Amino acid sequence: MHDQARLSGHGRFVLAALVVLRAAGVGPSASGSPSSISGELDSAGLRELLAAQKGRVVLVNFWATWCVPCREEFPDLVRLQRDLAPRGLRVLGISTDFTGQTAAVESFLTSTKPNFDNYRKKSGDDQAFIETVDRVWGGELPFSVLYGRDGRKVRVFSGRHPYEQYRAEIVKLLSEGNRQTGDARSPRS
Amino acid sequence: MRHRKALLLVFTAAAACLLLAPAAPASALEIGSTAPDFQLTTLDGKPISLADATHTHKAVAVIFIATKCPYSNAYNTRMKDLAAAYEKQGVLFVGINSNKTEPEEEARAHARQHEHTFPIAKDPGNKVADLYDAKRTPEVFLVAPDGKVKYHGRIDDNSEDASKVTSPDLKNALDALLAGKPIQNAQTKAFGCTIKRV
Repeated sequence: MHDQARLSGHGRFVLAALVVLRAAGVGPSASGSPSSISGELDSAGLRELLAAQKGRVVLVNFWATWCVPCREEFPDLVRLQRDLAPRGLRVLGISTDFTGQTAAVESFLTSTKPNFDNYRKKSGDDQAFIETVDRVWGGELPFSVLYGRDGRKVRVFSGRHPYEQYRAEIVKLLSEGNRQTGDARSPRS
Repeated sequence: MRHRKALLLVFTAAAACLLLAPAAPASALEIGSTAPDFQLTTLDGKPISLADATHTHKAVAVIFIATKCPYSNAYNTRMKDLAAAYEKQGVLFVGINSNKTEPEEEARAHARQHEHTFPIAKDPGNKVADLYDAKRTPEVFLVAPDGKVKYHGRIDDNSEDASKVTSPDLKNALDALLAGKPIQNAQTKAFGCTIKRV
């Protein structure tokens, strides 16, 4: 019998609440620290994670340890989370490293100590995952998607972009509400 | 005055042409279009051209590959196995490395390390990648003896784990082409690293 099935009605409620709070970015990470992988995501998991963010502006960043521009951009994401989280931003990182690179991902997170949660893309499910992220995405990294408070995708960023550009887009969204979908492209890995 | 009117007409016509010009296609190479010929030198120092290859083979699988891209590298064994399996059926696999960041010696060492026996060529100045509008590694263009593109896209649907592939798209396309049957899924989305152009 599974532990969850043994929980009382009250216990199940508490567990469900914790899961919702966790997905919404409230409370500690499942791993206890953003400096480790918070979990694996397939397309369904990504949809659930995004659905739980409604009410916040969300910047989802796809990265990999082997991607130099991603590593270079990472401190900017930490800065964005630090500067704009109080105004309603949540940054989420998703590593696209393969399973065999999990140790490298953990090592990278340990050394960079990000202030936002990072997940790892689950093996397989490539096409469904791409469709969930954005149809134009072809795997280039870094790749970031900005969502409005209502959960609507507002903008995609292909490749590395300057902190100021992210900040300007996010601040506009935080203060003005949602805008039409657009995209920005620059050299990438 | 007449001169100004004529000038205005020219400007108006030019503007109309710009507005009416069809949008550029998402991909320069559509299924059924003619694959541009190319002449390159393989890592073994031999000349290779698409025109020659299509004349002597039942199909040519042109695959844009890389040495450093994990997505491309995940397919090293699969590419090697597919190339060997289909060579017996008259299919030639041609690897093209267009990345400016991966010099010829590195590509040669990579091919040796992964025991790639199919021809691989560097694409100086990414000219072939430009001709094909190839954007990623790995990205496949399957060309028939008539020079037409019959399949374009990914090798299969699981870059990370070959044992979990549910849609072996390139293999399906090759089987259909060799059997003279229509390719059911002739266009898939190539997912991988961007080609590092000059």
